[in-house]
Amino acid sequence: MAGVRLQDLDKVYSLNGREIKALNGINLEIAAQSFVTIVGQSGCGKTTLLRILSGLEEKTAGAMIFSDPPGAQVRTGIVFQEPRLMPWLTVQQNMVFSLRGCTKGIIAKQANKYLNLLGLKEFQDAYPGQISGGMAQRAALGRTLCFEPRLILMDEPLSALDAFTRRKLQQEILDIYLLEKQTIVFVTHDVDEAVYLGQKVVVMDKGKVVDEISVNLPYPRDPYSRDYARLKERILDAILQKEAGTRQNGSQGGKK
Amino acid sequence: MQIINRMVIPFLLLAVWWAGAEIGWFNSYLLPHPAKVFDTAVSLTQKGTLFEHLAASLYRVLGGFSITFAVAFPLAVFLALHKKSYYFVEPVLEFIRHVPPIALIPILILWFGIGETSKLAVIFLAAFFPVFLNTSSAIISCDVKLLEVGKVFSFSGREQFFKIMLPQALPQIMVGMQLALGYSWRSLIGAELIAASSGIGYMIIEAEQLSRPDIILVGIFTIGLLGYFIDYLFLKATRFILHWTGRKEKLWQE
Repeated sequence: MAGVRLQDLDKVYSLNGREIKALNGINLEIAAQSFVTIVGQSGCGKTTLLRILSGLEEKTAGAMIFSDPPGAQVRTGIVFQEPRLMPWLTVQQNMVFSLRGCTKGIIAKQANKYLNLLGLKEFQDAYPGQISGGMAQRAALGRTLCFEPRLILMDEPLSALDAFTRRKLQQEILDIYLLEKQTIVFVTHDVDEAVYLGQKVVVMDKGKVVDEISVNLPYPRDPYSRDYARLKERILDAILQKEAGTRQNGSQGGKK
Repeated sequence: MQIINRMVIPFLLLAVWWAGAEIGWFNSYLLPHPAKVFDTAVSLTQKGTLFEHLAASLYRVLGGFSITFAVAFPLAVFLALHKKSYYFVEPVLEFIRHVPPIALIPILILWFGIGETSKLAVIFLAAFFPVFLNTSSAIISCDVKLLEVGKVFSFSGREQFFKIMLPQALPQIMVGMQLALGYSWRSLIGAELIAASSGIGYMIIEAEQLSRPDIILVGIFTIGLLGYFIDYLFLKATRFILHWTGRKEKLWQE
């Protein structure tokens, strides 16, 4: 599985002739086979970072160096915020959507593996309009896993789900991670989710990485433990202090 | 039961027509007795005249529609995918779109004569825009989010088109085809009324010259029923092709 090193990564958008810096000198190391969560408020640049990692957007400046093979863009899979399933395909067809040039046997084997793993076997012939949001997001995850990416990116994939389904899917994602040991970068705005899933939590604010916090708690994690609560507090502090600092700087700037 | 419900109004109208004809409400020259129209239809069918004209019209509609689709569909796809080219051809297309095909019949006859080519040209002009506009707009408005899925999977342009764009655009393309088929049928009858030596439109205009309103009505009913039947078949085919659109029942419990 591939790791990636980001060096001085910038992304600038141009809006009506005005330049907006979405990413500002990102330096980040994502180790191979690690589970990294990126947390931050809306508009902090976490989705932009993920889109650049997936190849959906070009970086403006900086370097993105994948560890294996060194220097080349690796096979990347992404699970979006919405399932983005093809409405004309069944759950099974959606899951093997990315597979090309494979024999029917390999396609069926791959589909069965992830249909069973994600508990979708019973719904393999259903269309996306017939299944719940949680099932659809599972199918989207299965589609990404069938692609066998070397780096899995997840862009707030559980944010639209209810709390129970979210916790269940968090556990399923963890099970898959522990089973397959793929490198996962998981973006969320939920601090609890970031601590529950990640081995490293990256805190972002205004296009910058403001903190990197290692989570040395064994899986499965107890959300009610003291260490867990302490980590959550630390991340919240990192976000809020940065926000307070920005506000202070802003007001000082105003006085000048 | 559904079919019976749908037939209530047609039967009521027929009953009013029949009763009016029996009582003498209608001038039999202007609106002949339904029984006479039915007898004429049977007689025209037995003689083979009706089928002869019907076959000529159907051949033109299906031929014209197929030619139109073969031209309009790829052109729409090309221009939708190359929006800069669309910018150059748009004025010409918009100009032609606003000219009714019937208004072009005189010039088409001058160019192509009263043979089959002028009828096919009329159908082409009538059916072109529903296919073209629906196809191009369906391709242009293709969901970018779904295209991004293909991009992540490193799909080639060809794969993006056949695996994502086309299936997504299919419902709207089918609507365009359905409209085009209806327009083809209508414009053909118009063309046959003006210049033809066979076809249902010709049968109607010939009957007018022979003062045979019963044949005119047989022609009108044939056009209506056949149009309805073609539309029905097309809808059946659409439902079969777009099989996923009919699958709405939820397979899960809230």
